[in-house]
Amino acid sequence: MGVFVVLPLVLPLTAWPIARLAGPRLHPRTATRVLSLVGGVLAVCSTLCLLLLMVAGTAQLPGNPLPDAWADPEVRAVVPYDEAVGQAALLVLAAVALACGHLLWRHGRVRAGAARALTGLPPSRRAVLPDERPYAYALPGGPRGRGRVVVSSGMLDLLDAREREALIAHEEAHLTGRHHRFLLVAGLAARANPFLRPLRSAVAFTAERWADEDAARAVGDRRVVARAIGKAALASGPGRGLRGVPPLPAFAAGPAPGPVPRRVAALLRPVPPARAWPPAGTAAGLALWTATAGAAASALSSANATLVLVTVLRGATSAL
Amino acid sequence: MTEQMRRPRRGQGELEARVLAALREAPGPVTAGWVQEWLGEPLAYTTVVTILTRLHTKQAVARERAGRSFVWIPADEAGLAARRMRKVLDAERDRGAVLASFVTDLSPDDEQLLRELLGGAGD
Repeated sequence: MGVFVVLPLVLPLTAWPIARLAGPRLHPRTATRVLSLVGGVLAVCSTLCLLLLMVAGTAQLPGNPLPDAWADPEVRAVVPYDEAVGQAALLVLAAVALACGHLLWRHGRVRAGAARALTGLPPSRRAVLPDERPYAYALPGGPRGRGRVVVSSGMLDLLDAREREALIAHEEAHLTGRHHRFLLVAGLAARANPFLRPLRSAVAFTAERWADEDAARAVGDRRVVARAIGKAALASGPGRGLRGVPPLPAFAAGPAPGPVPRRVAALLRPVPPARAWPPAGTAAGLALWTATAGAAASALSSANATLVLVTVLRGATSAL
Repeated sequence: MTEQMRRPRRGQGELEARVLAALREAPGPVTAGWVQEWLGEPLAYTTVVTILTRLHTKQAVARERAGRSFVWIPADEAGLAARRMRKVLDAERDRGAVLASFVTDLSPDDEQLLRELLGGAGD
């Protein structure tokens, strides 16, 4: 196994340059899909690697799934293992499982709570709630139920007719694009390996941008969407809206602009090209190639390590 | 037992729904006696009060004291939904977002930048 086992744990470090380069330069639809896919693959590989370290390193602990043949010194000599690393991996795995379980539980609870909150209302696609605090959300539906757009009357009061249309189109885009799944994958990945956190922030941003672009196409005017976002954000005021995902750290000195100004600025620029695969010479192309190479290397070394372990074990058990 | 066999037992949910419907038909705040009469069924007065009280704990109806008893009115569904939704959102707000919000908080720098951007965009 050797270095291949540890590689998937460290390769997620590439997430940071990938998120920095690809996030702002790819079409938001492509960026959301690519970044969450890369995050998912890297997270699965990293977890698999932890599992292997744990299984090989904790053979002496009761309850280990390894067959008795493992005790054979010849078998042990073939597979490198480290008891300290194995026990550390066990702890880390438990923490990962706990963090992922907590995220899933919270997702379920928020969605169930929101669905329960709306029970008394007619089952329409859109629910307007009398609340002066401005907010708007897309509540994804379950496997059978359709999603709903929830808007407060406070939000609607801020906007004119066309801006309302843009707001609704934005939330509808979240629902039809099933953006919550990408966010969940990226969130789970960030909990499986903290190096993947930049991807989580990047996906949160690109998913909003994706919905903005869809809304702009639906209402036929990018500036209307930009105005709707701007008005809503300014009226929400500091501390009143939901806490956003913090922006990525900047190379340059000074704080980077937050997600809202970046979204508005992007809408004031022309439509981003929808090319699926930018040329390798550009920064976006470089990021994509890095992402692909990182994910592929991670997947390959995980697969290699698993194969080696399984082959050795099978050989050991059949030989005895 | 035979009595129960002959008349199919209805779930509590159905009775609650019928009581709520009665309150919605009511001209204003009404007493439990009015609800009992409106339902036009052999339901004990105490049963009606029990159902109303249960609906009250669920915040589906509101009541006001009138003399020695209560008068009942259906709660405003949309207002209730708004309050429940706010609870969900407030609980979520402390621990990062599960739901994607239309806009997120602005820093003072962001606010300045946003005003500049929108100033340029204004027609």
